[in-house]
Amino acid sequence: MSCSSNHDKNIFLPKNAIIRKASQMTAFETHFTLKMEDESEFIYEPGQIVEAGLFGYGEIPLGLSSSPTQQGSFELVVREVGKVSKALCALKAGDTMTIRGPLGKGFPVSEFVGQDVLIVAGGIGLCPTRSMIRYIMDRRDEFKDFKLLFGARSPDELLFEDDLAYWRCSSDVNYLETVDKPNDRWKGNIGVITTLFEGIDHLDPATRVIICGPPIMYKFVIAQLAKYNISEHHIFVDLERRMKCGVGKCGHCQINDKYVCMDGPVFRYSDIKDLEEAI
Amino acid sequence: MKTFFLSDGDLDEFVTNLIAKSPVFAPVAKKTRFVFNQLESVEDLRLDYDTTILPPKKLFVPTKQDLVTFEHGKYEECLAPGKKILFGVHPYDIKAISMMDWIHEESNFDIYYHSNRKATTIIGSNVQNHYKKAFFGSVCKELKVMGHDMFLTKIADGYLVEVLTKKGDDLLPDGNFTDVSKEQIKNAADVNTKADENCPSKLKNTSLEIKHKIRMYYDSDVWKKKSENCFSCGSCNIVCPTCYCFDIQDEWALEPTSGKRYRRWDACLTCEFSEVSVQGGSENFREERAERFRHRIMRKTSFLNDKLGGPACVGCGRCSGTCTADIADPVSIINEIMEK
Ligand code: SF4
Ligand code: SF4
Ligand code: FES
Repeated sequence: MSCSSNHDKNIFLPKNAIIRKASQMTAFETHFTLKMEDESEFIYEPGQIVEAGLFGYGEIPLGLSSSPTQQGSFELVVREVGKVSKALCALKAGDTMTIRGPLGKGFPVSEFVGQDVLIVAGGIGLCPTRSMIRYIMDRRDEFKDFKLLFGARSPDELLFEDDLAYWRCSSDVNYLETVDKPNDRWKGNIGVITTLFEGIDHLDPATRVIICGPPIMYKFVIAQLAKYNISEHHIFVDLERRMKCGVGKCGHCQINDKYVCMDGPVFRYSDIKDLEEAI
Repeated sequence: MKTFFLSDGDLDEFVTNLIAKSPVFAPVAKKTRFVFNQLESVEDLRLDYDTTILPPKKLFVPTKQDLVTFEHGKYEECLAPGKKILFGVHPYDIKAISMMDWIHEESNFDIYYHSNRKATTIIGSNVQNHYKKAFFGSVCKELKVMGHDMFLTKIADGYLVEVLTKKGDDLLPDGNFTDVSKEQIKNAADVNTKADENCPSKLKNTSLEIKHKIRMYYDSDVWKKKSENCFSCGSCNIVCPTCYCFDIQDEWALEPTSGKRYRRWDACLTCEFSEVSVQGGSENFREERAERFRHRIMRKTSFLNDKLGGPACVGCGRCSGTCTADIADPVSIINEIMEK
């Protein structure tokens, strides 16, 4: 029982952040670039989360989409699914939203350094993993081979078009993408994300892997990884759960004896694979 | 620790003095049951209560508690703890409060809980009558009864009074406390031991044995069988002194720009509790009644043990007494699994 709690701080009181840029990425997702109102640098690790909110509506947990290697601002993507996210998506540049965080445990970056890295992202699973993707791209020398697999339902649901365009032609990342349902203009791969593994003959068994996407995706991707003899100890999953407080008190994110907001959202697969409710 | 004697006749004066000093919350009768309410006069005090409908946690985390008020972009925390005395808390509820203290302290300090907690003086009292479903004598033995400031045990002609803290000391001038004999101290210890022994219901195994075996039954069909009649009403959570889950909501005053953010008790047995919004809709990670039922029992017997140093159940029996379907009793579930 360690007790590192700060008794003066109110863990439920957020801070204001100013929206510097708000751009609609798809019919449902808005991409925000933010800065703390008090001009302080927002310090976080790839994979951590924040509670983003608007008084009068509430707060929602979001994974940071930017990398701490980029200073001066941070980024979030809000998908319009409910009352709070709708209100947030209506905000424009110059408006204010509230931020609590960073919260939770992100990717253990030091374990990735000096290793091959594979990131598998499905749909909006690209948003939180982008924090790590950008981190690796910014400090490319520290990592060995870097592969990124991304799957979306349709070309209309592709996120971060500028990033995708860059990754497609960059020699720093081996980027593979697919869509489930193509349109007339789509010239790339078609099929679920696991079909991308057909193009990968070999993976170093020591490769560090990150998986984030819709719940259904995890089991299939993990089955693929087993074929390359990748240790479950080296697989990290980013779980989304309905968090409320984000600080380990409200019980909403509890999966058996783990709290997603405190012990995660990033979990080592070997630590949670036996938790029935996890994935 | 200091020990005194307070005669039956002097109790009234003591309580009356306390009421004059600050609000006193104590067990009073409500129809056929009891509740912790603010005491208006000593005549209402019922130290012979069996258990209260809701546990005293409501004084630290009210069913609905304001967190922040906001108005046109400005916001402020709502903290206004008032000094109060919580009188007549049974030992099992004191244990539960010390668990709550830790839960709201570890990792992230919950200032709302602790400011109320700090402003409260807790006076415990022994169990004079047992609630029909109580089993506190056989559960959570690894946790000591602690964290309270004073404790009263009914003995012949009065009470043995233990003073444990400075807050307790501060109340000494309010009563006619006299010296105790060795015999009275021994009598009080016997009274409390008997209260444990005479619980109507009992667990047959240690917390550790239970923790391990229940976990082994994670995939058993016992959960489905046991929860068949569950209404998912969440009452078993609401009355539990060691349940503390909550939901946070914003409420508008007139327009969305002003109002308050509050939290209110929530219950993991209800269906909505485990809904997650995912891509394109929502998913429920404990959709089945049986999964939610299992979650509660596992939480009470195993999930939190490492954090708390013992199981998160103190054996008050409130859940089993409140459950309309009569299926929430931890004893019957635990003993059934242990006998397998
Ligand atoms: S176990 Fe009983 S009290 Fe608990 S939710 Fe089910 S019906 Fe309600
Ligand atoms: S689980 Fe039931 S018996 Fe145990 S502390 Fe909670 S309400 Fe009391
Ligand atoms: S979100 Fe409240 S405990 Fe994790």
